[in-house]
Amino acid sequence: MKEIVKKFPGVVANDHINFDLGAGEVHGLLGENGAGKTTLMNVLYGILRPEEGDIYIRGERVDIGSPREAISLGIGMVHQNFKLVEPHTVLENILLGLKEPAFLLNLKDAAERVLEISKRYELPVDPKARIWQLSMGERQRVEILKALYRGANILILDEPTSVLTPPETRELFRFITQMAAEGRSVVFITHKLDEVMAVSDRVTVLRAGRNVDTVDRQELDKTKLASMMVGREVLFTLQKNPIAAGEPVLEIDKLTVMGDKGLAAVKNLTLAIRKREILGIAGIAGNGQRELTEAIAGMRPVASGQIRLSGKEIGRESISRRIGGGIAYIPEDRVGVAAPQGLTVSQDLVLRRYREEPFSNGVFLNQHEIDSNADTLIKEFNIMVSGKDVPARTLSGGNLQKLILARELSGNPKLIVAAYPTRGLDVGATEYVRSLLLKQRDTGAALLMVSEDLEEILSLSDRIAVMYGGEIVGTFSASEANIEEIGLMMGGSLRKP
Amino acid sequence: MTITVPVISLVLGFLSAAPLFLAVGVNPVLAYRQVLGVFLDVDGLTESLTRGIPLLLASVGLCLPFKMNFWNIGAEGQLFMGAFGATAMVFLLPESSAFVLLGSMMIVGFIFGGIWGLVPGYLKARLEVNEVLSTLMLNFVAILWVDYLVYGPWRDPKGFGFPLTPMFPPNARLPWIPGTRIHAGLVVGLICAGLVYVFLARTKWGYELKVTGESRLAAKYAGINYLKLTLLVMFISGGLAGLAGMGLVSGIVLRLRHGISPGYGFSAIIIAWLARLNPLAAVPVSILFGGLLVAGDALQIGLGLAFATSLVFQALILLFVVGGDMLTRYKMALTWA
Repeated sequence: MKEIVKKFPGVVANDHINFDLGAGEVHGLLGENGAGKTTLMNVLYGILRPEEGDIYIRGERVDIGSPREAISLGIGMVHQNFKLVEPHTVLENILLGLKEPAFLLNLKDAAERVLEISKRYELPVDPKARIWQLSMGERQRVEILKALYRGANILILDEPTSVLTPPETRELFRFITQMAAEGRSVVFITHKLDEVMAVSDRVTVLRAGRNVDTVDRQELDKTKLASMMVGREVLFTLQKNPIAAGEPVLEIDKLTVMGDKGLAAVKNLTLAIRKREILGIAGIAGNGQRELTEAIAGMRPVASGQIRLSGKEIGRESISRRIGGGIAYIPEDRVGVAAPQGLTVSQDLVLRRYREEPFSNGVFLNQHEIDSNADTLIKEFNIMVSGKDVPARTLSGGNLQKLILARELSGNPKLIVAAYPTRGLDVGATEYVRSLLLKQRDTGAALLMVSEDLEEILSLSDRIAVMYGGEIVGTFSASEANIEEIGLMMGGSLRKP
Repeated sequence: MTITVPVISLVLGFLSAAPLFLAVGVNPVLAYRQVLGVFLDVDGLTESLTRGIPLLLASVGLCLPFKMNFWNIGAEGQLFMGAFGATAMVFLLPESSAFVLLGSMMIVGFIFGGIWGLVPGYLKARLEVNEVLSTLMLNFVAILWVDYLVYGPWRDPKGFGFPLTPMFPPNARLPWIPGTRIHAGLVVGLICAGLVYVFLARTKWGYELKVTGESRLAAKYAGINYLKLTLLVMFISGGLAGLAGMGLVSGIVLRLRHGISPGYGFSAIIIAWLARLNPLAAVPVSILFGGLLVAGDALQIGLGLAFATSLVFQALILLFVVGGDMLTRYKMALTWA
């Protein structure tokens, strides 16, 4: 793939990327979230068309307009989110979309062929099992068989180990090595350093849509890869006043929280945040940060462990109680959760506190108070709106985030949980949000901030914790922060208890 | 826009019925005159109001769950249960004063309808049971339960074997506006429309309904208790449908019988939708719908049309009115795939 450029509105996901793959090679594609790895492979698999650039397969220039064309060229892809039909059987999923067999009567031949492939690569499946009955590891095997059945000799695996147990991961590596030994090629997309080093012949690192470098197996070095992945950024330091932190406000004790896929997303996690302190959670998205913030806010149940707010156990409290207890929550999903788009600005500004005085007396809402609250907040936080009775969907991203912050921060919260607070915001809005958070910390709040922007974490946090695989793999003060180490921790290769 | 579109839809609906009338051998102009005559005639207007009362009560009730995207298709069953409850009171307290008896009939009718609404509400909030299915199925249970009673233990011994209860005594009948069949249920209906409007616009539950209607996750984030809200709203909604049932047995039919409601609970769904879930708008829409039903009767009686034909006519009118409403909500574009 030469000089591939792929743009989306507002962002260049692939900026003149070069990537090549040899026969029988296992090529790791490494990078953080948003680096452009999946986008690049989606271009190869025909899901996306690049704005510029060329693709050559076996020396010939090709134009891949759809996955069907990619498949006919021998390219197969196993996505992060499986494309399987749950009520159907394994065999039916494997055969989905193929011209043969034309009628269901010839299933026996197809089943035999599936079993043959399955045996050859030691990927045991039962063709008659239904997908909903299968574990994630088994479903992945079906996805792989789908690609092999169609004769793939370039196999793309996108973050394949995120749903596997350790023994299943070892099995997957064995399979990948077997494929390579037969002369087929594998592209292995991941952010996990150990894995990419264990199985790759070469590793290409992408960062922010660009190539960083491609490294051969002999020269693979964890530390080097980590710093390539994460980059050495120039730090802008905001005016952060050194302030002594107070007593602990939030104590998380051996917390386990289940994720959406039936696996534990937060595993036995222990953490404390003190008054007048910003704790930044660094880590690649998908390692339990979202589930952690949701558990603290009350949006997700606690499987085991304790969450204590100023000493009081709140892990089983209702959300309305937690709001009353002074927890402000700025969720990742602004549009669908934090500020419903069909409500007006003034209605959204009381979303979490409408049941308190003076906004309601228990039965009736006090529209006058709600209106004056809206006027005050719009002015104080400089929210650009044409009026307080317009629907929230007319607000730009930055203004919507200002609305959410205005609401959450105006109640003098004790604890602020912020998930990706400046994601998608322009420079001006970003600076404003950050200064607001710092102000809260100066006036006595405790803040938990999850961000994928390391620069942000480094400049705002007093203390930093890195999450990987649902656990905290390192905690340290911001002054002790070492970018290389952080990169290693984010990739799962280092633990600093 | 809010006036022109329905008017045009009505006109188109009428025109589309012309082939229908021709097909059954009737001059369309005569049919139109018959229908319009309903609205130009005092008796026609009062009959429209009368028919509109149960529609008004049920549709006002439906504004509440629909606002939170809880699809209550069970208003018919809730209506039947209300009718059942009201009738039970007549059997229990036949000698009471009209005030006591009618009052208790209203209360019990409301409660029984409300309970019938609580069941699917609880099932959805606790177990994610699809409310369309549960409310729909419970309709049949309620209708058949009433059938059991009117064919069995409650059947009028002097009723020639027909499935109906004895006629209600005078103290169990709602007062009528003299000279018409409009019963006190109209007042109740108008009051309820006003109360529900205030509920939606001014109370904290109205706010919670708006938020929940936008997104259940946002409602959770706001600290809203989905279970409590669903139960409250379904109790009121079912209760209002139950009141509609009470009004039917106590104000119009004056007994409980098989088929006490010819689908008012389902028509209420259309009315609530056309009223854009605004209880005050439900008042004129219910009356107009009542007029449509009376027009259907007029076609049968005045021109000898079959029942089925009048039904098709009503359906055509509704098709165009609802279709016209659809077009005002969405922009449509023709594209090539």
